[in-house]
Amino acid sequence: MDAPRKQSGLVRWIDHRLPIFSFMEHELHEYPTPRNLSYWWNFGSLAGFMLVVMIATGIFLAMQYTPHVDFAFDSVERIMRDVNWGWLMRYIHMNGASFFFIVTYIHIFRGLYYGSYKAPRELLWMLGVVILLLMMATAFMGYVLPWGQMSFWGATVITNLFSAIPLVGNDIVTWLWGGFAVGNPTLNRFYSLHYLLPFLIVGVVVLHLVALHQHGSNNPLGIDRKGPQDSIPFHPYYTIKDMFGIGVFLIVYAAFVFFMPNALGDPANYIPANPLQTPPEIVPEWYFLPFYAILRSVPDINLLVITIPSKLAGVIAMFGSIGLLFVLPWLDTSPVRSARFRPVFKWFFWLLVLAAVVLGICGAHRPEGIYVVLGRIATLYYYFHFLILLPLLGKFERTRPLPTSITAAVLKPSVATGKVEHA
Amino acid sequence: MSDGVNWMAESGHAQAVGSHEGGTRRDFLVLAASALGAVGAGAVAVPLISSMNPARDTLAAGAPVDIDISHIQPGQQIVVLWRSRPIFIMHRTPEELQKLEAAQQVNPLRDPDSAALQQPEYAKNWHRSIKPEILVLVGICTHLGCIPGFNPQPGGDLGPSWQGGYFCPCHGSRYDLSGRVFQGVPAPYNLPVPPYTFVSDTVVRIGENPAGSNFDLNSVEQL
Amino acid sequence: MRALAFAAGLGLALLAGPAVAPAQEAEPALPKQPWPFEGVFGTFDRASAQRGFQVFNEVCSNCHSLRLVAYGDLGPEGPGGGLGFTLDQVKAIAAAKQVADTNDQGEPTTRPALPADHFVPPFANDKAARAASNGALPPDLSVIVKARASGPDYVFDLLTGYKPPPANVTVAEGMNYNEYFPGHQIAMPQPLNENSVTYADGTPATLDQEAYDVVNFLAWAAEPTLDDRHRTGIKVILFLLVMTGILYAGKRRIWADVH
Repeated sequence: MDAPRKQSGLVRWIDHRLPIFSFMEHELHEYPTPRNLSYWWNFGSLAGFMLVVMIATGIFLAMQYTPHVDFAFDSVERIMRDVNWGWLMRYIHMNGASFFFIVTYIHIFRGLYYGSYKAPRELLWMLGVVILLLMMATAFMGYVLPWGQMSFWGATVITNLFSAIPLVGNDIVTWLWGGFAVGNPTLNRFYSLHYLLPFLIVGVVVLHLVALHQHGSNNPLGIDRKGPQDSIPFHPYYTIKDMFGIGVFLIVYAAFVFFMPNALGDPANYIPANPLQTPPEIVPEWYFLPFYAILRSVPDINLLVITIPSKLAGVIAMFGSIGLLFVLPWLDTSPVRSARFRPVFKWFFWLLVLAAVVLGICGAHRPEGIYVVLGRIATLYYYFHFLILLPLLGKFERTRPLPTSITAAVLKPSVATGKVEHA
Repeated sequence: MSDGVNWMAESGHAQAVGSHEGGTRRDFLVLAASALGAVGAGAVAVPLISSMNPARDTLAAGAPVDIDISHIQPGQQIVVLWRSRPIFIMHRTPEELQKLEAAQQVNPLRDPDSAALQQPEYAKNWHRSIKPEILVLVGICTHLGCIPGFNPQPGGDLGPSWQGGYFCPCHGSRYDLSGRVFQGVPAPYNLPVPPYTFVSDTVVRIGENPAGSNFDLNSVEQL
Repeated sequence: MRALAFAAGLGLALLAGPAVAPAQEAEPALPKQPWPFEGVFGTFDRASAQRGFQVFNEVCSNCHSLRLVAYGDLGPEGPGGGLGFTLDQVKAIAAAKQVADTNDQGEPTTRPALPADHFVPPFANDKAARAASNGALPPDLSVIVKARASGPDYVFDLLTGYKPPPANVTVAEGMNYNEYFPGHQIAMPQPLNENSVTYADGTPATLDQEAYDVVNFLAWAAEPTLDDRHRTGIKVILFLLVMTGILYAGKRRIWADVH
């Protein structure tokens, strides 16, 4: 990052024509960052790291994969057995999807807890939701590529959802499939799009970072920086902290890749796709389970004049659950950002986390018995939390007094700010 | 693992004691971390780059092939595939062999003694093969890679001085019936001879050297 | 405290999801046993896997294919170094089978298999397989151990789980009662018995031994690079621990003036 003195001539020559070095100096070195960021702020860089890992492994895997229904499954097994280090690239990519979602979900919940979506960071937040949607589309299509039983039947179930759209639904589904059912045309177009979307994600991530740098990072106290004493340069403080965070993360990631590579997956995907035999359970990957639960938890809605079929209602509820995240900055009316100073909000935040976990568990089970009930309660709570609770709470909650500044909070640990450093 | 933990504990202690020498310790740590990071980055690049090398099944498919040559009539040639390349196996007649042995002084050949490394040492002779009557060549023109046509008959379209051999249709390169390249044609080298051995009188194994030789086809000047 | 609760919640979500994913009807608990390839330091028991290959070759391969494995994979050029067979043994194993080929007249014929060929399937296609198997399709066994939850234990328990049906269960025509097959009725009759094979190395061929050996073989067939994976993993994690330790020390040092 530091250009050595003896190259300063070359550096200046380049920088005068393409200001890469002064850009890096400004945005990565000097860039003022709150001094009190906790380890919960590492997850953004972890997500960026995972994006690079997924693209790198994906490109090399794409050199060996065959996107044809008769060859796809075998080509993946060929990668596992015959391609030099193929097993490693495949397991890194496969588990990488899970870990990409783990860090992204933590990153999102961090934002929810500390009010990082509030003004002036509304667009930053919305760009993040766009990234989440692109990630979900990418992951969905990527899972179809190995052409196992879950690949095929998951694709069938999810593409069939679009038939719920009134009037044009069936035409849209046929258009998506390129045929009368999920088949070779579907696989090929999913391959093409799966290769494309990550680069769109890169573009949106760039916008996300530009938006971030406009006003800088939020911090655990949720209060703005008042002056230079409240911040420290990004380099070396947060570069080293991010690198350490990546190190810890890699240890956990490597433990899965090398010693339990199939723990997060479904064994049924090691059965080649059979369009004539539906597996006893169709379950998406764990990171989609909460959404799957929301999808299945909505019954037919009888509005006297018309009835909204449960399939359509479920689709609306599922996409709605992500859609309402876009308007979160306006749903939450509290002038206080961080949950540290919002004792009532804090409790409901944890309830939301619990609801997400419950939804995940429900998504893994057949929609029968207790799971239907729990799924509905959790879905209702999710919508209640965002549409009713947050707007009202902002108006009526008594928040705790905010510290005067970040430095003030750091220097006087007795002012209930909590540790700034978690070793 | 335990080493790492002890190391950390020591450095923590040292930190509390001497913050004056912070600079050098910090530089050392940064240096050590960067060095390890470089090792790590290299360790990541190696599997990715090496995955592009031929995979195990590709290499297995390039294993030696056994060809039955018993039905090749004198004057005939068959073409088989080995490692995705055409291999000419020709059964030369005694007349053709006579002409070849004498032709060294007559016809203008670019490399009559096969000085350039285009063949294993056991094919470095005027018949460029193990047994004179069986010729084994890699059928790829050493100019730009087309497959030369088999023209064993003298004369004809190729002119009165044509004694039989190979004619490449792409740019007109000519080779004799030992695969030796003529002067004045675009091709620079003789047609390569692959590693091969006789498993029996009627079976030739392409891709394996006879005992005592370890000729590698990748070592030739121009495939 | 907060962080711990949070992490616990996420951990629960992670574990609860896949762990309860195959929510099946009440099944008898699968008896589990330790397998030599399990665990951080697990490696294949190649002697057992070679015996298992004999079981597969003599019994299972009459109905089950192993499409994804090539004969050469068993030998020194195979992924992960193979099962310990020599190249000559591999050539002999391959040559004992015939593969489809065409003769010089272009007519279909057969030739002996080469190490580069994949295991020859017992039937030309699925219809032929069903016709010979009472309408059921014997699945390919290349990745069967990964295609079932608790794969190795499941396959072992299935092979040793044939019992007379309990009094209240009527077994359908052509089916067999098995303790661990979902639904308890399986089209495959008990494939292994005591001394179904005679082991070349003299090991007594009890049913449990045969099942144990064939599972070891199938586990190898499902992922021949497992030994490499474990070995590389240990090196990678040790390296990461050292590097993370250094990075942590660096972080503390650099942040010392901020605290």
